[in-house]
Amino acid sequence: MTAEDPRLREWMVAAQQGDRLRYGQLLTAVLPILRRAARARWPQADGAAIEDAVQETLLALHAARRLYDPARPFVPFLLGIMRFRGGDAMRRYRRAGARETPIDTIPETTGALMTNTTPDAGLEAASLRAAIARLPSGQRRAIELTKLAELSLEEASATSGMTVAALKVATHRGLRALRRMMLGPEMAGGAVKGPDHHDAP
Amino acid sequence: MMHPEGQTERLIAELAGALVPVRRLPPPAVRLGYWLAVSLPAAAAVAFAFGLRPDLAARLGESGFWIAGAAAMLTAVAAAYAAFCAALPDQPDWKLWLPLAPLALWLGTLGRQCLLVLSTAGAGGFALTTDFMCLPAIALGGFVPAAALVVLLRRSAGVRATNACLCGGLAAAALGAAALRLYHREDAAIMVLIWQLGSVALLSVLAAAVGRTLVERPARRPGTA
Repeated sequence: MTAEDPRLREWMVAAQQGDRLRYGQLLTAVLPILRRAARARWPQADGAAIEDAVQETLLALHAARRLYDPARPFVPFLLGIMRFRGGDAMRRYRRAGARETPIDTIPETTGALMTNTTPDAGLEAASLRAAIARLPSGQRRAIELTKLAELSLEEASATSGMTVAALKVATHRGLRALRRMMLGPEMAGGAVKGPDHHDAP
Repeated sequence: MMHPEGQTERLIAELAGALVPVRRLPPPAVRLGYWLAVSLPAAAAVAFAFGLRPDLAARLGESGFWIAGAAAMLTAVAAAYAAFCAALPDQPDWKLWLPLAPLALWLGTLGRQCLLVLSTAGAGGFALTTDFMCLPAIALGGFVPAAALVVLLRRSAGVRATNACLCGGLAAAALGAAALRLYHREDAAIMVLIWQLGSVALLSVLAAAVGRTLVERPARRPGTA
């Protein structure tokens, strides 16, 4: 075992007297010592657990600085604190790990955490509204009444003044035109260049 | 408390920025001296308050009385020293076992007395009687030593608090039992073994169970001494 840096003891004595600069130097100097010691003591622990034990040791060192006797070496004092207080932190970490699931191990693409499972629905609705607006007036009126307002053919006929037969034809043609506009001619089942501009009689 | 990696440097800055001077704690041997300076007069005062036993002069001539008494005193001293060491992180574990040697001597002395009684008086020497005075007498004799230990340990309880309390309880109870020998006339060795050592064991375990709450000060924010 190599002899410890004599400055550690000097800095700790200065820290007991309230020297903040030396205390900062001391804590910075012991940080790699603590990380190395923690990794050696708990080789199975992950990085977060090691860092937790290191920080717990630093806090305990701060609380226990009145206990340090300058007649004794500093590193055994520091590692003694890590053994007990860092060990407490490690036990807490393991207990928490046994009953909790770290949130960052859940796949980012999981659907379990999503509240809006159809995020494109709004876009499709807007496209549909735009396509309906492009329909000839007769077909647009028939679609609005029978599909959007969900009226019966008789009610739609009474509202629009169109006959039931004319409503059926206009709705059929309107739907076919919408399908072509939304899905393309191939998907819609025919090579049609654009919306059907034949209005219902 | 959990800090994600990378925040340790910030924690160091916070701790350093909140540093205040502290008064260094004396070594365990010095604190043992403080404890004895308070506890021995207190235990002696309890013995004198109850009145010294009438056969004390005769008993002082027996080596067995001296050995058992010295073993009880040594147990108290070693246990108090172990309690002060237990609370320090850089003290080795073997020091926590120091009281076991005089405790074994104490037990051995009393056990030997039991065997002597068995060989001379037969099984009749083991007639068990109740001696309810032991527990409160030892508790009373050990009260000031225990209170002094709580005060001294409260200034130092950093680690191994339960071990420190167990050793501290043993120290106070052993000192109370040592004082008890000066004013209480035991009937038979077996009674001493059961009632006195039983009381010591009970008080020690009790101290280990509840002492932690007495000696551990609540966690303080960085920056407070």
